[in-house]
Parts: sequence; structure tokens; C-alpha cells
Amino acid sequence: MTSKKKSVGVIPVGDVPESTLQIIADHITGRFKLTTQILPPLEQPEYAFDERRLQYNAGIIIEAMEAMQFGNHDKVIGVLNNDLFIPIFTHVFGEARQGGKCGLVSLFRLMKNSDGSTPPKSLVLERVAKVALHELGHLLDLLHCEHKKCLMHFSGGVDEVDNMSLELCEYCTIYLQDKLG
Amino acid sequence: MDGKMSVMIVDDEAIVRESLFHWFKKYGHFVETAASGFEALEKLGKYPFQLLFVDIKMPGMDGIELLEKVKTDYPDTLVIIITAYGSIESSVKAMRIGATDYLLKPFKPDQLSLVMERISVQKRLVSQYNYLKGHLEKITRFDNIIGQSSEMEKVFSLIPEVAQSDASILLVGETGTGKELVAKAIHAESRRSHLPFIAINCGAMPESLLESELFGHQKGVFTGATRARKGFLEVVSGGTLFLDEIGEISPKMQINLLRVLEEKKITSIGSREPVNVDFRLISATRRDLKKEVAEGTFREDFFYRINVIMIEIPPLRKRKEDIPLLVEHFLKKYCQETTKYVDHVTRDTMELLIHYDWPGNVRELENAIERAVVLSKSRTLNVEDLSFIRPAGKPISKTLSLREMEKEYIQQVLEGNNWNVTQSAKILGINRVTLHKMMKRYRLERPEG
Repeated sequence: MTSKKKSVGVIPVGDVPESTLQIIADHITGRFKLTTQILPPLEQPEYAFDERRLQYNAGIIIEAMEAMQFGNHDKVIGVLNNDLFIPIFTHVFGEARQGGKCGLVSLFRLMKNSDGSTPPKSLVLERVAKVALHELGHLLDLLHCEHKKCLMHFSGGVDEVDNMSLELCEYCTIYLQDKLG
Repeated sequence: MDGKMSVMIVDDEAIVRESLFHWFKKYGHFVETAASGFEALEKLGKYPFQLLFVDIKMPGMDGIELLEKVKTDYPDTLVIIITAYGSIESSVKAMRIGATDYLLKPFKPDQLSLVMERISVQKRLVSQYNYLKGHLEKITRFDNIIGQSSEMEKVFSLIPEVAQSDASILLVGETGTGKELVAKAIHAESRRSHLPFIAINCGAMPESLLESELFGHQKGVFTGATRARKGFLEVVSGGTLFLDEIGEISPKMQINLLRVLEEKKITSIGSREPVNVDFRLISATRRDLKKEVAEGTFREDFFYRINVIMIEIPPLRKRKEDIPLLVEHFLKKYCQETTKYVDHVTRDTMELLIHYDWPGNVRELENAIERAVVLSKSRTLNVEDLSFIRPAGKPISKTLSLREMEKEYIQQVLEGNNWNVTQSAKILGINRVTLHKMMKRYRLERPEG
């Protein structure tokens, strides 16, 4: 699955712990065998703040990022602490357009369990890695998958994120290999 | 969500269209968007979308109006209503008109996922229903009875006529002529077609069992009656009861059935409570019941009760022009069932099939074709593949001498058995040596090639 053609930039949007960015970069390198680089942070995206919903519009941030230059990186994953939404949904853990260049991961809802309790940090980092890899999968044109354990399975809640694995199913693995050449 | 769908998002807000567009793209669905009801109808006219997501509040034509038009012109298209207003009235109205579901904006991501899963299940059920419906229609279809002879044309013209009434029908015909197929066709054409069709062969069971099958019984009325059981006269409830071999039933059973036909009530064995029944009776027989009535062996009152309308189904030997059509039909049927590819019948073989008398009628012909297809080693069905048919039907000229007739008959038997001397000798009732001598005497030789 090694490819030297594609490289991925991991970029903090606002204030994000360095360790979280490193975990994401390591998982991308380890799982997808792509070169990664942690990029200098972007400013807090106040331009995407929706005063009525008190959330950040993921679509607007992605559009802004798509207009930026990120050196020679083919794909860029933005990481932020804020609660994200897209207009039809109450919230999203991350967002990426199919085959697009930039995707987002939000830590906001991954830091709580479905019952409101606080999960251990290791679990939060595992969730972040899963969502980041899932969104990168969309940027690499992988579709949602029916296999409940597959990394590309759609997760509507944190329990589903916990239930899916960090691995792609055999079909998505073949598809990714095909996409990476 | 298994299977990709064609989805159209109809919303005047670009941002909603865009969000849903990208969400569906992630599942690999074919997605299109429309900014108004008018645009949606225009696109629907060009492409048969399976699923529409429609915003209820749009300028010009609102979601409810669009839903009404879609359900009238494209009833197979599923519609999900999305609304930011969440009024119960509009959602209830939408569901009444035929919306599959509704979602209140903004919805949790897994709500949309759930809706799509439900649609997927519904789609699968509809597809299964259509398959089974098609299968059922194939079984009971009117054109399942093959024939273009004038005799069969008469039967075909009678079926839709008699199907409309509730009068009892008696089908008369030799065994294997397709009496049950005609009964099924009458049922399929009648107003009872959505109700059960129950066929019972009266000749295949003893009187006590037939009585129990028809009338039912209470628990413990006889050995083995471990629980109460409803009879077919009750189970058929509104449908059609087909009693085959009606000529075989006993005089006692004739009286019992006569009473049911007159009173439309039955009392199960061991019970005193009569139950109302409603069914249409179609009976069938291969016997000459009129003659038996005259001889006093079949009850006259029962005969007239079951024989309000009589349909005679001709034997195959009286409609030989139908044989090529039937052969073609059975060839196709058994090629499909056996996955063998036999699509041609030689002229000699067809002649053999036409000349044979078929005492077992269409059923015997069907069995013969099935056996021949199974045994055939090529794409063409030839005389050898049908060697098991006795060529008794070949006409013999009345002006032949006894010797000539003997020669011709021996030749027919030899041809019909692929010139197998042992087999032919067995049929002719002589030994092999005698047959060889006769073949020499009459100069009968297997043709070359």
C-alpha cells in the first residue's frame, strides 16, 4: 500500500494539543502508508461560527481551506476543538467531500460518552484517529461501507465510533490500494 | 444500506441541497438536486428517480403539492419529507398522501441513516413481492394453457365468461387433459382470485379421510384426532374449491356435499355447531356421469347441482394441431429446469409425436418431453430420444394385405425403438431370432447415417 505520490498534511485549526496531531499523523502513516507532516496552525475559524446554532459550519471551513495553499500536500486534514455541523444535521464528528482535498475532524463531541460521562484520554485519541482516517478515506474517494466494523462504516454516535475498528474491511482495502496505485 | 439508489434532493436552500448531495455521494448513490418542485418534476420526467427528499416549504409549488403530483404520476417513487417547521399537521398530511417518512431539520446523522435503512428493507420487500406476484401469475395465468385448435378456442372463450358467475362448473375430460389448469384459470379470472384455490383429488383418498379433509373434525372424535382441525370447505373461505375425480365419491358423500351446496353450512365431525361457508365449486371427472345417473350409480340431484355449467376438455388426439405448440412450450420449460440446451426437433420426431395417440394426453406428452430432454445428448431431439413411445398411432392403410401389414408394423416398432432388435422383439412378443428372420424376409434394414 506504500505510495510516495500522495502526502497528507495534518493542520490544527485553532488551539489543538500537539499529541493529538501526532497521533493522527502516525495513524495515517501506519495505516494508509502515506507520508504525513504536521503543518503550522490556522486561526480559530470565527468566520464559520453560526450564532443561531452556536456551532461551526464545517462546509464553510472546508471551502476556506480548499482556497488555501498547503505546499505539495495532496490532502489536508484539519483538526479543531469546536463543535461542527452541516446544515441538515445537528452535528458531525468530521466532514470531508468525496474525492475532495480538505477534511475536518472535531474533538468536541468525541470527548464525551453517549451517557455524558468522560472517557479516558486513550479512548478519545482512538476516536480522533478513527474519524481522521475515515474522513481521509472520503478524500481518497472511499465510500461508506456496510460492514459495521469497517473504518468506512458511517457512525452517527460515539458508540458507533467505538464499535468500528481502525481497519478497513477487505473490500475497502482493495479499493484504497486501487486508488493509491 | 444495500444497493445503490437514484436520489433527488428538492429544496430551495442551496446549502441543504449541497449538504445532502455530499452525504448521499458518500454512499455511492446517484444524486441529483432540484431547487423547486417544477424543476423536480421536469427532472423526474427525464429520469425515473427512486427516492425524493422534499422540503415541505418552498416558494411556488410546496412540498405537499409536489408529493401529490409525484404520487399520481410516479407512484413507485418514494418520497421523504423534510421540514424545518415540524408542524404535526403538515407531516400527518404528507404521510396520508403517501410520503414514506419525514425528517425534522436539523436531524441527527443517524436518523437519516435509519430512514435509509428502512427504505432499503422496504425496497427489498417490494422486490420480493413483485417476484412472488409474477411467479403466482405465471402459475395461474390464463395463457398457461397451450392450444390454438378450434376445440381449445372454445374452452378459452368459455373461461372468462363462466369466471364471472358463481355457478358450479363441471369439467369433463380424460386424464391428463389439463382440467386443473382450466379450474385455476377460471379462479384467476374470477372475483375470488385473491382468495384461496384449494384442489382435492377425491379419488386419491378413502371416504372417511375425504370427509375429515372436507368438513374438519373436533379433537378426540376418532383415533389420531389429537387436535381440532378445520375442513377445506371452511379453510377455502371465499375462494374456489376444486374437487377432482368427483365421480369417485360415495353416495353418502354425495348427499353430504349436496346439503352443503344447498345450505352453505357445514358441521365438522364431532360438532353440533354449523358454520357458514362461502366458496365456488369446480368439479372434474373423466367418467360419463350422465350415463351413471341414467344407470342409477350417481345421484341425479347431486349431478345437476355440480353441473350447472359443463366444459368439455378435448383429448390431445382430437387436437393434434396443438402438439407442435405444446412440444415447443415443454421444450422451453424443461430446458430451463434442467439447464440443458435442446431447441430443435427433427421432422421425423415431430411426426412421431403427432401420430402417437397420447392416451395420457398433455400430461403424457409433457412427461415424454421431459424425459427426452434429460436423456438427449445434443441440441436436437430425435426419434431415438423418444424410443420409449410406442408408435401405435401411425396410420395403416386399409388396403394392405396381412403380410404387408405385418411388415409395416414390424418396421414401425423397429423405427420407434431405434432399430434395437431385443427391445422391438419384446414389444412384438416374439424372440430375437424370429425377428431377425422376419427382418430378413421383409428386407428390413436399419437406414445408414
